Amino acid sequence: MPQMGESIAEGTIVRWIKKVGDKVDRDEPLFEISTDKVDAEIPSPAAGVVSEIRVKEGETVPVNSVVAVIGLAVAAASAPAALADKEAGSKAPAPPPPAHYHDRDEPTQVAVVAAPSTASAGRTPATVEKAHAGSTDYAIRERSSPLVRKIAKEHSVDIGQIHGTGIAGRVTKDDILGYIGQDGRTAERQDSKAPAGALVPAAIPFKPGASDHVEKMSVMRKRIAEHMVVSRRTSAHVHSVFEVNFWRIAKIREAKKAEFERSGAKLTYMSFIIKAVIDALRAVPIVNASVDGDTIVYHKDINVGIAVALDWGLIVPVIKHADEKNLVGLSRAVVDLATRARGKQLKPDEVAGGTFTITNPGVFGALFGMPIISQPQVAILGVGNVEKRPVVIDDAIAIRPMAYLTLGYDHRVIDGAVADEFMSIVKTSLENWDPNAV
Amino acid sequence: MPQDYDVIVIGAGTGGYVAAIRAAQLGLKTAVVEKQKALGGTCLLWGCIPTKALLEHAHALKVVQHANEWGVTIADASTGSGPARVGIDMNQVQTRKDRVVTGLTKGVEFLFKKNKIDWIKGTARLTGNGGVDVFEGEKQTLRARKEIIVATGSTPRGVPGIEIDRARIITSDEAISLRDVPKTLVIMGSGAVGVEFASIFNRFGSDVTIVELLPRLVPVEDEAVSGELEKAFRKQGITSHTGAKVTGAKVNGGRVDVDVRLADGTTKNIRADYLLVATGRGPVTTGLNAEGVGLQIEEGYIKVDTLFRTNVPGISAVGDVITFGAPGHPQLAHVSSAEGILTAERIAGQETRPINYDHVPGCTYCDPEIGSVGLTEAEAKARGFDVRVGTFPFGVLGRAKMAQETDGFVKIVADRKYDELLGVHMIGPRSTELVAEATVALRLESTVEELIRTIHAHPTFAEAIGEAAHALHGTAIHS
Repeated sequence: MPQMGESIAEGTIVRWIKKVGDKVDRDEPLFEISTDKVDAEIPSPAAGVVSEIRVKEGETVPVNSVVAVIGLAVAAASAPAALADKEAGSKAPAPPPPAHYHDRDEPTQVAVVAAPSTASAGRTPATVEKAHAGSTDYAIRERSSPLVRKIAKEHSVDIGQIHGTGIAGRVTKDDILGYIGQDGRTAERQDSKAPAGALVPAAIPFKPGASDHVEKMSVMRKRIAEHMVVSRRTSAHVHSVFEVNFWRIAKIREAKKAEFERSGAKLTYMSFIIKAVIDALRAVPIVNASVDGDTIVYHKDINVGIAVALDWGLIVPVIKHADEKNLVGLSRAVVDLATRARGKQLKPDEVAGGTFTITNPGVFGALFGMPIISQPQVAILGVGNVEKRPVVIDDAIAIRPMAYLTLGYDHRVIDGAVADEFMSIVKTSLENWDPNAV
Repeated sequence: MPQDYDVIVIGAGTGGYVAAIRAAQLGLKTAVVEKQKALGGTCLLWGCIPTKALLEHAHALKVVQHANEWGVTIADASTGSGPARVGIDMNQVQTRKDRVVTGLTKGVEFLFKKNKIDWIKGTARLTGNGGVDVFEGEKQTLRARKEIIVATGSTPRGVPGIEIDRARIITSDEAISLRDVPKTLVIMGSGAVGVEFASIFNRFGSDVTIVELLPRLVPVEDEAVSGELEKAFRKQGITSHTGAKVTGAKVNGGRVDVDVRLADGTTKNIRADYLLVATGRGPVTTGLNAEGVGLQIEEGYIKVDTLFRTNVPGISAVGDVITFGAPGHPQLAHVSSAEGILTAERIAGQETRPINYDHVPGCTYCDPEIGSVGLTEAEAKARGFDVRVGTFPFGVLGRAKMAQETDGFVKIVADRKYDELLGVHMIGPRSTELVAEATVALRLESTVEELIRTIHAHPTFAEAIGEAAHALHGTAIHS
């Protein structure tokens, strides 16, 4: 199980793309995983034949566990006599760690990540001789620092099980803290908050009927479920709905569409909305903030999360430093993140660090939504369907493309007047867009 | 026809020249563009090297001033007690300092030849897609096949309202070349530059006043270090005004009138020979066309990621000219060279790991010296550690008594939970050398226990580190 990010300790095998006996090329997709943060297809680290699958679909294992064994078909067939231990010689663990975690002159690197019980089987032919020489392998696994040994002792952790990212596979402080699933300090902080959890009422028990279909929640579903409940419990949610006239934006889009398409970009309503939101966030900084205990943290960066619906759930990739992008850049970023979200190509840090979120229930026809805040943010914008409606303009009835925009905000820190000020700015910029500012 | 290189480095300071040598070692065809007459940049020409050369002169003078105590006899000064009547010959000081600087810049030139690095003389302008135009006389056109490394460095920066005329209101660039000892010198800012020049000129005989805006001297250091330096400066006759502001400075008949608003709100006028503005350094990007090629600039600095890539593919930047966004990036020669090496290795396709900036040692060569690495006590507390502190004074050590350098201490900051070493802060003799031990210890994720079990040779100044570690566990032997 590869390490997908510093804070990710385990992953679930969602699907085996290759089965036992299948031939696999290096870098060909081997299996699909789901972790706390992202879903991803994992490429094979080596070419060969899948000789063993150790972790079934749906099972969750810690990072660096051996999940399958790829046999080196050629080596086993052409030089069997040369290998004293056929079992050991013909197998390589899969997947080995990304190569960059190790210095190139460490031939035994694969053993670093192999779980101890499988270490003897987890060697490439090239390393067999070395292993006979003695405990080199063990010594490498034991490479750590005094601090790491101290932490390991306190938590009764076998350092040999930890994937080292330091020089020559050395286990560092970050590695072991990641392994034991905590940054020592934040874990304590969470502990002290734990009693709050006791206030959650227990779910009402029920028994599924004979005709019901029972399915285990996916990792992503569990995460969404937890997050939504936590958010509802954390923030004092209030919603405010504004109606926005998109007549001007529609005209600008019409006028510039061809020009933008020529440069390969799409000029969507969403890019205008993001831009308007960024200006409003700058004008009303409390909306771009977080609550930490009894302090308010105002974020300098404006990182806008965009909720992307997936067939199997929901993910919120983040446009980092959104305020540094122009309309085209924003539009491109949205398309890029959404495409990669659907292709399971997002990196963990691309779904982290958001300071404000925009969700677009309008694409599914919703008039407006009442979105739940993505923690630890304090506000979220829901965009309703843009549709033509009769409106009164200068005492006459006109047909205009209109949409309802909803701000869901945390009343702990944002008062109604402030939220409405924010929304007024968004509305005013969208309704009075300067066609030259495109 | 452009001249083709694998790597073009802009700037031959510590960041640039080290990056170039490392790139050349790794088999990359490398050129360095530098507009100055000599290689080495700020560090060699106006920074680390010349100032520390001057400090050695100051130290030599200090020993001779106390010749009587040492039992060293000097003609005409061997009678009576107290400081011997000795003086400093600034012309000889400058000659020797220049010799040291020239020797080192020639050394860099030699290293360039040895590694077959081309020095392209002139000012570089980025033209996009790996292109670099160099202007000096005729325009030369270069092209980088792999990467351009911008290492254009920094220059002393003034403050609004104080006009630097480089004659009476000067920066460190001018201060290193003074051929007279000012009678009175006012220094604005008490960072490394400010306090080092305070020590130099105080020793040479100037009446030195420091004006620091923040509430303590050397504000980036641990508070205890600031306190100790202020005490030592007071003993040496250096006046420090902290929490004070220079509100105006006017050159008046070959001198300068400096208006200061003190911490208590009262104002003071100091008539000085020079006002040295040492309030920090700003980035140099003049003529580079950084914005033209789309480089992301933040407050004048070039924005890079943790592997020193800018937002424009094919352009990296290292050293004083870069920023990671908040918080600030340390402007230190040894940081620049570490960044240069890492960047060259990355360009050559080697695996690189980001630098841990919590493990960057800082050395300030004032008297007494300051060496520090890691978190200060306040920083460690702010990050939520359960902090334990151990302090040991140099004055107790035999070695310090022999050298008659008994000011200062070693202070160790650690986390109680895992005994993790978080920071080591020293002020006192040889602190700038002793910090190396602490830096290795931090780099290897040492615990305080490891420092205790490390045998420190006797008699040395380094014993203070072992004793401070003992003190942290409440077991100091000699205090």
